[in-house]
Parts: sequence; C-alpha cells; structure tokens
Amino acid sequence: MDNLPRFAVVGHPNKGKSSIVATLTQDDQVAIAMEPGTTRDSRDYPLTVDGDELYRLIDTPGFQRPRRVLAWLQNHSASAADRAETVAAFVTQHRDDPRFHDECELLTPIINGAGIIYVVDGSVPYSPEHEAEMNILRWTGQPSMALINAIGGGDYHAQWQAALGQYFRIVRRFNAVTAPFAEQLALLDSFAALAPAWLAPLQQARQHLQALRLQRAGQASLLISEALAEMLNHRQQGRAHPGENTHQLQQRLSQQWQRWQRQREQQLRQQIEQLYQHHHLLRNEAELEQLLDEDLFSSQSRQRWGASRGYLTTVGMAAGALGGAGLDGLSGGATLGAGTLFGALTGAAGGFYYGERLGKLRRLLPGGGEQHQFGPVRDPQFGYVLLGRALLHWFMVQQRNHAGRQPLRLPDNDGHWLQQLNRSQQRQLHLALGQPPRHSVEQRRQQRLQQAISDACAAFTHWQQQQRNDTP
Amino acid sequence: MPCYLHQLLAFDRQYQRDRQQPSQFLHRRDRRFALDCAERQQTADLRHWLMRLDSDGGQPQPSLLGPWRQAGLILPLIGALLGVGFMLGLLYYDGSERINITLFVALALLQSLLSITTTVQGQMTNPPWQRLFARQQDTAVLRPLRPSLAALIAQSAGLAFAVSALATLFLLVLVQDLAFSWSTTLNTSVAGYHQLLTTLALPWQSWWPAAVPGLELVAQSQFYRLDPQSPTDPALLGSWWPFLLMVWLCYALLPRLLLLILAAVQLQWRARRLLRQHPGWHSWQYRLHTPLVETRTDSPLQPPPQEAPVSLSPRPASNTLIRWAGAGQHAPLADLASQPQPLILDAGGERSLEQDQHTLEQAGQRREAVLLITRSWQPPTGELADFIDDALAQWPTGTLLAIVPLGDEQHLYPCPPALLGQWQRFLSRQQTPQLLLCAPPAAERGGEHG
Repeated sequence: MDNLPRFAVVGHPNKGKSSIVATLTQDDQVAIAMEPGTTRDSRDYPLTVDGDELYRLIDTPGFQRPRRVLAWLQNHSASAADRAETVAAFVTQHRDDPRFHDECELLTPIINGAGIIYVVDGSVPYSPEHEAEMNILRWTGQPSMALINAIGGGDYHAQWQAALGQYFRIVRRFNAVTAPFAEQLALLDSFAALAPAWLAPLQQARQHLQALRLQRAGQASLLISEALAEMLNHRQQGRAHPGENTHQLQQRLSQQWQRWQRQREQQLRQQIEQLYQHHHLLRNEAELEQLLDEDLFSSQSRQRWGASRGYLTTVGMAAGALGGAGLDGLSGGATLGAGTLFGALTGAAGGFYYGERLGKLRRLLPGGGEQHQFGPVRDPQFGYVLLGRALLHWFMVQQRNHAGRQPLRLPDNDGHWLQQLNRSQQRQLHLALGQPPRHSVEQRRQQRLQQAISDACAAFTHWQQQQRNDTP
Repeated sequence: MPCYLHQLLAFDRQYQRDRQQPSQFLHRRDRRFALDCAERQQTADLRHWLMRLDSDGGQPQPSLLGPWRQAGLILPLIGALLGVGFMLGLLYYDGSERINITLFVALALLQSLLSITTTVQGQMTNPPWQRLFARQQDTAVLRPLRPSLAALIAQSAGLAFAVSALATLFLLVLVQDLAFSWSTTLNTSVAGYHQLLTTLALPWQSWWPAAVPGLELVAQSQFYRLDPQSPTDPALLGSWWPFLLMVWLCYALLPRLLLLILAAVQLQWRARRLLRQHPGWHSWQYRLHTPLVETRTDSPLQPPPQEAPVSLSPRPASNTLIRWAGAGQHAPLADLASQPQPLILDAGGERSLEQDQHTLEQAGQRREAVLLITRSWQPPTGELADFIDDALAQWPTGTLLAIVPLGDEQHLYPCPPALLGQWQRFLSRQQTPQLLLCAPPAAERGGEHG
C-alpha cells in the first residue's frame, strides 16, 4: 500500500455509489445511472492540487455475480491466510471473462491497495443477499468502511447499521444528495481513519476544498456585482422608424431593453453554474426554473424579490441623508444641516415615487439627432428584484450537491433577507444599487457594489439557514 | 520601465475575452503559468503572462490607442511646422525695423506658461475640453487616462514647436544679419531692463557669460522711434543672439521637455495605478497564487443507456412461480397463478447456487410456463441472467419464462414506468423469444399504481 489514499466505491448495482462519488468530486457528470449488465468500467476521480494528487476516488460497477465469485474463492482457498491472494488470483483468471467483467473492474483497484467504501441504500430493508458481497470484500483484507446512503423515502438505517457492523469497523450514514458541505468534509476525515498514512494528504485535501469553496463564493459575488452593474446601467438606443410614433418607439425600445435584461440574467446563471461545476442543472431543477422563470418584470417578481415601499422609503431617506451630510461637511456647517434634510427628503421621495415605473423614453440631446434612449432604469426596486433573484439562484446552486437529481424545494417564508443586513449595510446596498459603476474602472462605486453584494450574499445565506431551521 | 499603458490595455482586452471562459479553465491556465515561472525561476508578472498568451496563439493585438496614436503623430508634426513659421515671422527683418527683444522674451515666457497650463489640465479628472471626447469610442479603461494622454500629446506638439523654432532661430542667425533692439513706452531705465534680462539669464550666466547681455549692450540697443539711428555700432545689435537662443532654450524648450517627460511618467504611473485597480486584477492575482484544486476525471464518459420501447406481453397461464431474491414474499402471489394453489419456489438472493439449481429442476418438471417474480427497483444483475440461461437450457424446449417485476413488497403493484426500461433492455440483451416481460394483474386492469 503506498501513501496515496485511494478509495474504491463499491456495492450492489444502483445503490448510490456514483452519487456519492459525484458529491465528493463535485462533478455532476458522474451521477448517470448506469445499467447493470451493460459494459461498464471503473472511473478514477483524482483530487489534484496543482497537478499533485492528494487522493483518488474510484467509481466502480456494481457486483453482478457475487455468489459465484464467493463460491470460486471458497473453492480455491486453503486457509484464511491466502484469502487476499485468492481474490487476486480470481481477477487474474477472469480478467477476460465478460461474465465477471464488473467484478474484475471493482476488485482490481482493491487488490492494488485501494481502501473500500461499501455503499448500501438505507431506504430499503436490509437483505442477506448482500452478505456474499461483503464477504468478498472482507477476503481482500483491505481497510474498509460502509456508507449508508438514502435513495428512497424509507428508513432502515438501524437494520443496516446492525448488519454492516459485523463486517465493517466504520459505518457512517451519508446522504449524497442532501449532505451539507461540512458533512462531506467529515466523511473525508473518516476516510483518513482507515489508514494512518492517509491522514496527512486527506487533511491537506480538506483544507484545499474549504479554500475552494470560499474562493467560489467570492467569485460568485464578483459575477453578481458585474452583472448587476451592467443591467442597472443598460440603455437601449434607437431611432424611430418611418411612421412610428413616440409611443410605438417607446414600446419597441422597452421590449428590446427587457430582452437584453433577460439574456444577461441567463448569462449570469450559466456563469454561476459553471463556477460550481453544475453542467446539467437546468435540465433537472424544475422547481427552481419555475421560480426563476417568472417574468423578471412581472408584479410577482416585484413582490417576491423586491423591497417593500416602506423599506425603500426608509433606507432611501437614510442614504439620502448620508449624501446630504457630506454636503454639510463640505460647507463647514454653513448649510446648518439643510443638506442632510434635503438629502433625506429626496431619498425618501425617490424610494416612494419610483415604486411602479421601470423606465422612460428620452430624446438624446444635443448631437443625438432623432436618437432616443430607453433606460437606464431609475426605479430602485429594479435593483432589488435583480439582486434577490441572483442571490436565490446562487444560493441554490452552491448548496446543491452534484448528486442531486430531484427538484429543489424552497421553504415558504414570511420575512425578507434584507432584514438580515444592519442599517449601515442597508444604506450602502441602497446607494450601490442606485449608483452602480458606469464602467469597469470606476473604482469607488465598483468597490462599494462588490462589498454590498458580498454582504448581501452573507445575509441571504444566513436568512436561508434561519428559514430552514424554523421549518419543522 | 515597463509600458504600463500597453500592459493595461492588453490586460483589459484579455479580461474582456476571459469573461466568456469558465473560471476553472482560467484558474488552470494562470496557475499553470505561475508554476512554470517558478520552475524557470522567473517572476510570474504581467509582461510574461501576456507574452505567454500571445505565444499560445492569442489574437494579434490591434492598436488599442487608435486615434490617440494618430494624434500623437500628427500634432507634433503640425507643431514643428508652426514652430518654423512662428520663428520666421518673429525674426522677420528687412533692414527697416529691428527685431523686438522684449516681444521675443515674452513669447518665450508664454511658452513656459502654456507648458504649465497643459500640465495642470492633465491633472484634472474632468478638464474643460472633456466634451470634445464625448463621441470618442475609447475602451472604458482609457477614459480616466484621457487628460494624461491629451497632456502628453500636447506637450509633444509643444516640444516639436519649440525645437523647430529654435532650429529656425539658429539657421536665421547663420544666414542673416539680424538686428535686435528693445524699446518701451514706459518709463523704464536701461539699468532696470538690464536687471530684468540678467535675472532671466541666471540659469546659464555661470557657464556661458557671453550669452548674458551687458549694461552697455542694453543701453546701445534701446530703440527710439524718433531716433532710428541711435545705436552707434550696428554689429553690436547682432550680438544679442546667444542670449535669445538661451532664452528660447531655457524658457520655451526645456520646460516643454521636462513637462513632457513628467506627462509620460505620469501617464505610466496612472496606467499602473489603474492596472492595480482593474476589476480583473485581484482575480488574476488570486489565480496565479492559489493552488488549483481539481476533482474531475479524464476518463471518457459512458453514454447513458438508450431508451427502449417497452412492450409488455400478456401473462401466460401458469401455476409455477419463482420468487427471485425474496421478491413478493409478502404479496398475494397466488393471484398471479392460473389455479388457486400454485407451486412457489425461491431462487437468488441469500440462497446458494445449489439451491437455485434445485429450484430449476423442480420448476422444469412442471412442464408449463413459469412466472419469475422480481423487485422492479432492484436492477437485473448477471446472476439473474445466469439463472434464466440455465433455466432455458435445462427446461423442455419452448417453455415460456415470464418476468413479472413488482412495484412493492406487499402488493401486486406494477413496476413504475420509469423502471420498466431497464427490464425491457435486459430482455433485449438475452435475445430469447421464450422470455417475456409481463405486468401483474393490477396493471392489466389499469391499476392506480401504474
């Protein structure tokens, strides 16, 4: 056995081996349910850091003929001492036998030193037919542990725990679809318990995986702030066609503007999904799609994602006062606080007044000729709608394990994530959405928006966790 | 000094291109570069990174400065031409009137003032001429640099003006007999005027005293309109040229040169600062210095199984049932049989291969179709295929074997449609006409659990 930890994930066909590998490797291309009886090879999933391998998971085909294999082993073994050799001999002898292709594939990494992760489905009752498989694995003499996965709705965990305890030193429960990230790391820790030599590389791997998660969260926050800046600044320009009146022109430009916004939102979603290595997400996330496919500009979207008029008025007032106070400061107090008062009133009025409008047509002057422009939108609500939708999508994607195939379920909520931000963060977010950076090198606004989005991500995560904890 | 402006433009260009790329790819690419640099003991800096991307087949870099570059060529040329014209005009001498020294000095000092004004405008975020660029299609990253770029080009044009004017002055001194003088309506004494000129000549008076006009020369060069023949020695009037040459050099040319260098340095400095503040900079740095964690496999993906059209056969009349791996142990299996008390046997699962063989023998003796009961959610394995092969080999020719996958343990619920595909494909692989796929009675009646 060398010091590189390798783990063969083995078990009965379709008991969730691939889903466990998919979750641990964060690769949703793994979890394609392969069919027993079709030719299937083992697939290696190394975890590399700068090209240096820290450990390797091996997704194997399921046992097809365990009773025949065990019978062969029993017939060719003289004593307990030669069992591992007998297993190796079986593989050597049957390597070209199509009937034992799957067994050879799954046993080869084990006889080459891989640890064994035996996966069962804890949602169906224990059945003694698994004993042949477990016996074969025991014959290999390799360090092993059992994972009780849960594919269906039943719970036979206790039965399995009792049965598996007779064959494996370590038995853990691990739901590949729902296990949170901390549990995935804990699973890695238990892999390390199989052999002392594996501890150091697995601890390294753990640290790198944690760093990777943080890195992705930071990247996602940047992607969201970039998209928001573009969407909030977008303007659609055009000239009136012959015979087209102002109303028709406004309608046309407004439609083009909305189409552009939808496309940009889609692009952001794809970027976030790519970032988290979810390549097949859209196909499977029916409920999320339904949620997010509500029209970006519909009143439902406004209600679900936007901020209340009261919130906009209050925060608008606070943000306006902040700007006005700056004026007072510049005047050395000569304005006697009039700047603060004026800013507060303007901010409050802005929040209240703009509540229902997206944009209006403007004729470009001077030098614009007959050129008209729709956007950028001045409704503060629009920024909140965009942000709320982007945050939900990001949150669902980053929470989702790569083994997930079921539609996502969101708990109903009666609060709003904005309440998780403190007053100062609320003001900063309001300012950042109201004054997004107009171009990529407008540093002060850029930094303010990025900081506000980063705070919003943290607040949204906290709010979601709170919602989940409150759900019975 | 590296050209930060070009680096900034190239970096921004690459940043815009990279926005379409997956972040994992970017991390892999940049981390690979950093590791290669470390291996070669080379600094992983922007210059090398851009060179690497270019050598990796990056697109040729079109000039991103565009109109600025053109302006940088044309305006100095115009400046040079104007400089020649200006000096020719200023030193125009036809023998009737002398060349005014005061005017010359004033225009030289004006050049200084213009140089300084250009520098001051270059410091402004929004200079007054900003609107001139309203229609300029600059890349966003260039916008904050417009004042600096404009200052640099203006100083270049000014320098070209000053150099060509100086060359013209020198040439005219060589080929013409010029007569310089000064005059004023104001009540200025010769001593006062001399003091002014000596002060102006301070920068060079120690190393070129001949270029500092003496009191006598100043007195002799004073010109009165009513007394045009006032100087006694006409050759004296030509000896002003070293002073004027130095005045132009020190107050027109050198300030331009120094402020041009300052503008160039400042442009680079601002470009460097913008580079560090670029939205892609920190991500790039992060990609260079953070280890790349990858968990993907290089093994080719196996395609998912093909969809198989499911065709259920009518269940043959049979009184012999085999429960595979304990399927249907708690279900009313007798309802599947054609007679009330069917023979129910077991195979697979925890039973031994010998027991399976015994089951086959018992079933074969019945000489009728056999129903093989399975759990629909347990995928058909190789052991089931072996059992079927053995059965059809041992049983009388033509014996039908009907697989009946059940939907649960307690009832005769049919197999959920999503799972039927795997059973259909299993049958197709066996390629045996005697093997049938059948549904329990609930499905035949259009049961609610189908």
